Amino acid sequence: MRKVYILASVLSLLGLADALYLTIEHLTGQTVRCTILSGCSEVLSSEYAVVAGMPLAAVGAAAYFTVFSLAILALFGYRIAGKILTPLVIAMFFVSVWLFYLQAFVIRQFCQYCLFSAAITTCLLVIVLSLLWFRPAAQ
Amino acid sequence: MKRILPFIIILVVLGVALTSAWYLTRTIPAAQNPAGNHPPSAPGSPGSQASPADQPVVNGVPGAEPAHTHGPENAPVKLEEFGDFECPPCGLFHPILKQMEEEFGDKLHVTFREFPLVPTHQHALAAASAAEAAGLQGKFWEMHHIIYDHQKEWSKQFDVRPIFEGYAKEIGLDVDRFKKDVDSDAVANRIMQDGKRGHSMGVKGTPTVFINGREVNFENLPADKLRVVIQNELRSAGK
Repeated sequence: MRKVYILASVLSLLGLADALYLTIEHLTGQTVRCTILSGCSEVLSSEYAVVAGMPLAAVGAAAYFTVFSLAILALFGYRIAGKILTPLVIAMFFVSVWLFYLQAFVIRQFCQYCLFSAAITTCLLVIVLSLLWFRPAAQ
Repeated sequence: MKRILPFIIILVVLGVALTSAWYLTRTIPAAQNPAGNHPPSAPGSPGSQASPADQPVVNGVPGAEPAHTHGPENAPVKLEEFGDFECPPCGLFHPILKQMEEEFGDKLHVTFREFPLVPTHQHALAAASAAEAAGLQGKFWEMHHIIYDHQKEWSKQFDVRPIFEGYAKEIGLDVDRFKKDVDSDAVANRIMQDGKRGHSMGVKGTPTVFINGREVNFENLPADKLRVVIQNELRSAGK
């Protein structure tokens, strides 16, 4: 169980770094140069990159920081934190699925930073689901 | 101690994250959007370090001839842009370059090279072809401007040909000839020649800008930075 929370905290730190980078790009008005392999410019300058006036990446950074905090608290025995972690990660996963859909079918461009974030969230989902799976067995 | 250790870890991570964000937002220059009006950096300020002088001069293979240029051939500052009409940063750079041309007048010579990023941008090749077809009737820059000015409108459409034909009519081209020229070998060859030049100069993305043969770093393309780069080149040339 401890290893799972450590893994979740490390993954959420990676997600936090990724989301922070995108937030800074957004706040400084920087757009990533267009290349043959990347559609980041299109994704980051799209209308979907902002929610209620806030950069979506900033919301993501806050979510990853919350996941990190909850994982650390759960690691140190705060059981309530582990219970909050699961619905939060499930919600983040559904948001990631929605953002993946937007990239694939609406904007029709993929940004590697956004895909990296989606991959992190998917890994976190697998982790929290494994906790749900093994917890009853442990009890 | 064990009860408060997780809170200490969380606070440390929060502190590191906020400090990093604060540091990076201060060090990364704010890009100037078309509506923005950032004050120019004075010579001697940190912005004056924005010089391509430390970059090597790149001599690529020749591009399409005659090239699409603005400004006198003997201008002390020669700027060459490799651009993609569908690339959003190229769309943001377009008004910045126009502003530089207005500010520096006959001291600046601008060349535009086609570098459509296929397949990343589905309409980039059509846009480049439209601009080159307009060029065959002597109105490349008119088409160049109108395509960039309306980038957000046409780039989301499924079929862009009627839109570009509308632009052709708007700028006074012979539309029937334009429709033929868009698919002509002459237009395709020009785009290919510019692409070959770009590849030979190490261009990997757009916009890529060279000033007097030296690549300008992407972060120096906002107006306040680019202005300093051009001023530094003028100073080096003794103008």
